[in-house]
Amino acid sequence: MAISMHESVGLGRPGETPPSGADRRRSPWLGQHIGTALVGAVAGYALGHFIGNSIASGYANVQLNRQNNVATVLALTLGVVGWLLGVGALNYPILKLVGKEPAPEIEEKGWGRYFRFTLDHKVVGMQYIIGVLLFLFTGGLLAMAVRTELLSPTTHYFGPGTYISLVSEHGTVMMMMATSIITGPIAGWLIPLMIGSRRMAFPRVEAFSFWMFTAGYLVIMTALPYGGFPTGWTGYAPLQTQAVGGMDSYLVGFAVVGTGMITAGFNIIVTIINYRAPGMTWSRLPIFIWSLLAVASLLALATPTLVTGGLFGILDRTAQTAFYVNERGGSAFLWQNLFWFFGHPEVYIMALPGFGVVGEILPVFTGKPLFGYRVGAAGMIGVALLSFFVWQHHLFQSGINPDMRPLFMLTTELISIPTGFIYLTGMGTLWKSKIRFEVPMLFALALYFNFLLGGISGVFLSDVPVNVTVHGSFFVMAHFHYTIMGGLVFAFFGGLYYWLPKMTGKTLNKKLSLIHFWMMFIFFNCTFFPLFIVGLLGQPRRVFEYAQRLQGLNDFSTISAYMLASSFLVFTANFAWSIFIDPKPAPANPWGSRGLEWQSPTPVPFHNFDRIPVIYADPYHYGEVDAPDIADFDKVWATAGAGASSGGAGGGGGGFGAGTTIEGGPSDV
Amino acid sequence: MGIAMAWPPRDEPSETVRGKGRYVVGRSARLGIFSSLLAVAVGLVVFVSMAYLRSEPPTLDFAAGHSQGQAVDMTLQTVGAIGFGTHPSWVSYLTQAPDGKWVHTTLWDLPANTRVNVTIDQYDSGSALRNPQVGAVYGTLGNAATLNGKPFSLIDATKGNGVGHTFSIPTLGINVPLYGVNGNAKNFCNSAPCTLSEAHNTVEFSFMTPKTTGQYGWQCFVPCGGGYVYGNGGPMQTISFMDGFLKVVS
Repeated sequence: MAISMHESVGLGRPGETPPSGADRRRSPWLGQHIGTALVGAVAGYALGHFIGNSIASGYANVQLNRQNNVATVLALTLGVVGWLLGVGALNYPILKLVGKEPAPEIEEKGWGRYFRFTLDHKVVGMQYIIGVLLFLFTGGLLAMAVRTELLSPTTHYFGPGTYISLVSEHGTVMMMMATSIITGPIAGWLIPLMIGSRRMAFPRVEAFSFWMFTAGYLVIMTALPYGGFPTGWTGYAPLQTQAVGGMDSYLVGFAVVGTGMITAGFNIIVTIINYRAPGMTWSRLPIFIWSLLAVASLLALATPTLVTGGLFGILDRTAQTAFYVNERGGSAFLWQNLFWFFGHPEVYIMALPGFGVVGEILPVFTGKPLFGYRVGAAGMIGVALLSFFVWQHHLFQSGINPDMRPLFMLTTELISIPTGFIYLTGMGTLWKSKIRFEVPMLFALALYFNFLLGGISGVFLSDVPVNVTVHGSFFVMAHFHYTIMGGLVFAFFGGLYYWLPKMTGKTLNKKLSLIHFWMMFIFFNCTFFPLFIVGLLGQPRRVFEYAQRLQGLNDFSTISAYMLASSFLVFTANFAWSIFIDPKPAPANPWGSRGLEWQSPTPVPFHNFDRIPVIYADPYHYGEVDAPDIADFDKVWATAGAGASSGGAGGGGGGFGAGTTIEGGPSDV
Repeated sequence: MGIAMAWPPRDEPSETVRGKGRYVVGRSARLGIFSSLLAVAVGLVVFVSMAYLRSEPPTLDFAAGHSQGQAVDMTLQTVGAIGFGTHPSWVSYLTQAPDGKWVHTTLWDLPANTRVNVTIDQYDSGSALRNPQVGAVYGTLGNAATLNGKPFSLIDATKGNGVGHTFSIPTLGINVPLYGVNGNAKNFCNSAPCTLSEAHNTVEFSFMTPKTTGQYGWQCFVPCGGGYVYGNGGPMQTISFMDGFLKVVS
């Protein structure tokens, strides 16, 4: 399908050399960077507190409980604005508003660019990698605290309030991380390279989404000093309405991260639709890009509900509105509906990119074409569509109309069909293949193993009778850890091991990588499988006391969790040693991938491609004797007629539109 | 020109290799920098864990020097506003330490399988109850308690000053309602610790600590978190105010 569009500035057409950009190396200390962002955040935070105290310190409820939510919310919000102003994320719109022309896009060099607001999607991708690892390790430490408390049912390491705050903080941090763990770092780095574009459609928006993500981290980290929040990651009213100041951090934090997610979603959609190289038809699109298109649709359509729902909660806590207060005409159920209308698509926001990643890895290491490519892509779109029709299964126990239960049970079970398509795409690719058990492939195989357990337990959970029985127990907790950590996080590490040689030009130590994998795989299962059992035996989530007879299984899970955490230390040591301390150069294409992203030099030039490539085939023709070439990187195009443009990366397109003459003719395409 | 793909994989190095010469500092220095960063991160985690997350009010030891068969006497008071600290307007319990000093804590070490004689001086006003069940006395020795010296088993919270707070240990099935004082009393106590010359009601009862050691949560079941929707926020969720732990030791 070709989408004819007018030429975009700065992108170029096939064969065109990239626009010249200044190549300069700035002192890392000059200009705007993370340091000025921190200064801006602190200044904004202080200003917000001052304004909030000026406005609301005399309110009756504030006088009574000495908890000024207006000041807290304003401090956090202005802190985020200060963070964005400090890093320079708002320079462009501000300059445009005052009628000045912003500085041109430049290529920056040196390590200082990783601490700045940058327009290079590859730098943003690397920033995201460090960002999501920070989220992941923070959430992991909180998980260790949770598991430590569960070592004993009667002797407590933390108080009950601290425990539920740790659980809530862990859940929220991990959910924020999981939403972006692939769509931020890996997708941000790879989308333009995989579709033959020189950049994302909106580079500033991409960088903006990253700095919003980091701002969200800072905001959610303030929850603990504000007293935490007792709701878990789901933030249910009426607990939400009456919680201490940490709840403000939760609501503002989700709004901030959510805004970043929405912008990232739109950016990914526009990039994929409009910035494909000529010849990159929908049927040649890498499966990872299909997964991102599905996910980006969910990000753009589902996340606004979360942000809006959070805004209602903020208003209830500050302006004394009553969206979620039953006694004043609101409804606590409203939050549950708004939250899960986002929250269940969110589950697939987390799951689908993982399948996209392993969809790229499997053909490379099996030496076979991706089985059922179109079915897999259709499955991803199907899951994305159906995900909007299942959210009420989270409310089976919340007093919904019982007649609605069978409907949502059915829709939830239906979603297992397109999910099965995706799963079978992987199984078909593995069938009768000669597998190379490299580290990325091991992670991909682990995903299929883990997701099988997580997915099947999910089908059980969708059935009302089982749901009623195990609702709110560790069984549910084990289920979603198997799908999110067992699926997404394993896929993230698989993708990282697969693409890091391209991203950094350096090789990770294989022995340490293997140790990381086996520790992570074994102890992940040892940690979470027993939790299915304790859940079935009645241990409730989010409660720090449990039956004495369950201590053995809990202790086994906790010790396994410590070992699981140790596996991340191995990864960190490997990453630091192999990338920064004692780097070894990586081969140009160590895995022998046919992917377009592997065909550019390492390090990838600022504009990715000297000439926009013309795509000849999908990247999955492995093991075929007469496999077609993937692309032509040197083809020179001539357009017919001034101003006519189509099909190019700038014109967005995939196909070859009318009015275009291709040197050599399209017959060899 | 098309790009022919090699299979099996190629192993030639990247076109541009970032070697050692790219770094300003040497390997040892880089190792030192990362080790330092790691040490800072570990230090931060330990600090947050020990200094913040594990910080809790003091635990009063009623088990020290206790001999078997001897009862433990404990005196508490409830106040409408603690009057000091980060939340001066919150309602709170206070505990009288064995040396007679009032301490802002709700954590106690108690010996196992021991009779505990509790005296609570209630200085806060009361209200009607959403759940009349918590107006009943149960789980104490003889299911009995006295209010200003007179036995009682139930407070009808719709009458008089209502119920101010409860002393409840859910896992031991214990509940004792505390009758409120007149909120308009001239000698109403406004900050802790209150004294017996101020308006108050005295509730006395006894209970047995369990034979099994461990921590047993106790709390107030009257939503008394003023300024919070439903009254269940703030002090109701905070140890040393309206909930705490019996740490039963051998």
